Amino acid sequence: MPLNVRIGFFLATRALRRASLWTTGLIIGVMVLTFLNLVVVSGILVGLLEGAVVAVRTQYTSDVIISSLNDKKYIENSPNLLLLISTLPEVRAYTARYRQAGVVEANYKTRKDTDKPNTANAMMVGINPAKEDSVTGIGGSIVEGSFLTPDDYDKVVIGGYLLKQYFPVETPGFTTLENVGVGTKIRMSVGAVTREVTVKGILKSKVDEVSMRAYMVDSQFRSLIGRNDGNVAEIALKVAPGADPRAVRDTLLARGAGINAKVQTYEDAQPKFLKDMITTFGMLGTAFSSIGLVVASITIFIVVFINAITRRKFIGILKGIGIHGRAIEVSYVFQSVFYALVGSLLGLILVYAFLVPFFYAHPIDFPFSDGILVAPLGTTLLRVGLLVVTTVVAGFIPAMMIIRKNTLDSILGRN
Amino acid sequence: MIETKNLTRSFQNGDVVTPVLKGIDFAANDGEFLAIMGRSGAGKSTLLYQISLLDEPTGGAIKIDGHDTHRMSEDERMRFRLNKFGYVFQDYALLPELTALENVALPLMMQDKSRTSAYAQAQRALERVGLGHRLHNLPSQLSGGEQQRVSISRAIAHKPAVLFADEPTANLDNESSRKVMDTFVELHKEGQTIIMVTHEEPYAALADRLIRLDDGKIISETKRRG
Repeated sequence: MPLNVRIGFFLATRALRRASLWTTGLIIGVMVLTFLNLVVVSGILVGLLEGAVVAVRTQYTSDVIISSLNDKKYIENSPNLLLLISTLPEVRAYTARYRQAGVVEANYKTRKDTDKPNTANAMMVGINPAKEDSVTGIGGSIVEGSFLTPDDYDKVVIGGYLLKQYFPVETPGFTTLENVGVGTKIRMSVGAVTREVTVKGILKSKVDEVSMRAYMVDSQFRSLIGRNDGNVAEIALKVAPGADPRAVRDTLLARGAGINAKVQTYEDAQPKFLKDMITTFGMLGTAFSSIGLVVASITIFIVVFINAITRRKFIGILKGIGIHGRAIEVSYVFQSVFYALVGSLLGLILVYAFLVPFFYAHPIDFPFSDGILVAPLGTTLLRVGLLVVTTVVAGFIPAMMIIRKNTLDSILGRN
Repeated sequence: MIETKNLTRSFQNGDVVTPVLKGIDFAANDGEFLAIMGRSGAGKSTLLYQISLLDEPTGGAIKIDGHDTHRMSEDERMRFRLNKFGYVFQDYALLPELTALENVALPLMMQDKSRTSAYAQAQRALERVGLGHRLHNLPSQLSGGEQQRVSISRAIAHKPAVLFADEPTANLDNESSRKVMDTFVELHKEGQTIIMVTHEEPYAALADRLIRLDDGKIISETKRRG
């Protein structure tokens, strides 16, 4: 070890060991807060969208989503495609959905002929309840009543965004059903076919595609829309643990699934605005973190500057008895690194042992997502490195400024 | 041997120039115990700082063992101070966060000695001044006299060519001052060169030679002993 480093380390360890506990605690406290500012602020910003992405993935698209081509209402030759999917070992579960736009109506029994019908545009979906629940688990999102069972006859589960009590938005052109709860009879109209059904459950989710739908058992929905060829509009696939959704997508495309359908991973299916928002929020997080980094470097600069100024006499004595200025600078660098590392270590423990699990268990209830704290270890360690480097520079500069002053002036306290 | 020729040192504050040393011709021989006296502001401490390489003169020359100090780089001056000189200051100048042993061992470690060897040498130096039982005490846990003896240990532990002392007894009571001066006399008997600034006649009387300064000039030089 170079001599100046050895002496610098010796001086730093003694200075730290015998420093005031309050001062050390305060500096480390500032470093912990800086670290949290670096990691948590951007982590929450990204987590806000990540919560939305995760919700779309778990409740709607699953890992791979196959949907009808843009100019088709359904996926042609669906039975063969479903057969192919069932043979893929990487696929753990899948659900096929019939889908058709329609209208639901609520007050048709009580309204007068002159009253305006209480209707809402909805996407009607026919599902196999057990298969759907095994892939998306939306049965767990029922807030009133219960989820569908295969034997349900003329029963629907309706998304919360179609009901005024769950989505009280007064947007022109957008209407919701009023006074509809579990047990209420409503009318479903798909094309020219209208059927009276009973609301069995109400489903609440922050994923629009889930909450704007009315769900029915697939066998009945087929009869409602008059389809008996088995062609569905959507298939969501959940891959086995460890399997790569992109590999499954590529396998399906290689086997010709792309001829009659769009095959996308959950990432491919993300809307462009969401991808842009993730990038924008990431940039915002980085900007906020950079401000935090500047604040941290100024804090350390001030702390070390005041420390070096008040110890100027001793710095002069050290130089006077022959201790190299570089060794004294190194001692301040070591002290700064110590503060940054201990602060970061405590921050890491706080983030990974407490905050991440906490936000995972208790997501922040944003209007459009359940926000979690996203803190990838690689990015976090990079930020620890940045914090240490910034701190080293911020600690070195003031120390160097004081150490370069005239030795005798420092000893005698002259300016 | 330290020799100065027409040494001057002035301080400038704005447009005001204050000459403190006004042409000092002075020599200190190896093994000599030299005392410098003078009233406040006479320039005795300033002279000590010049010849001990803690400050740079405004004019004139200083030669130490034939080396012209004017030509030395800051690094060379630092190495000279580390290896050839020892310092005892009026206010002890110990580092508050280092124990007595660490204070004394630090310059030895800077000389690239291992920690074990530096600590052993430092311990011997502290035992020599009667502080073998205070090795692990911080300066704040020591009396003024003990702190000054730690300072002397630090100054002599590496067996310097010259020991500089700037009013070493000024802050001490009589008993502690006597112990410090006893140590100086003992060191001198063993051949240590000592240059000491003092304002106390009885302690100056212990030196081989006494130089009196007034208004930045040597006004008298007295040999006290053989």
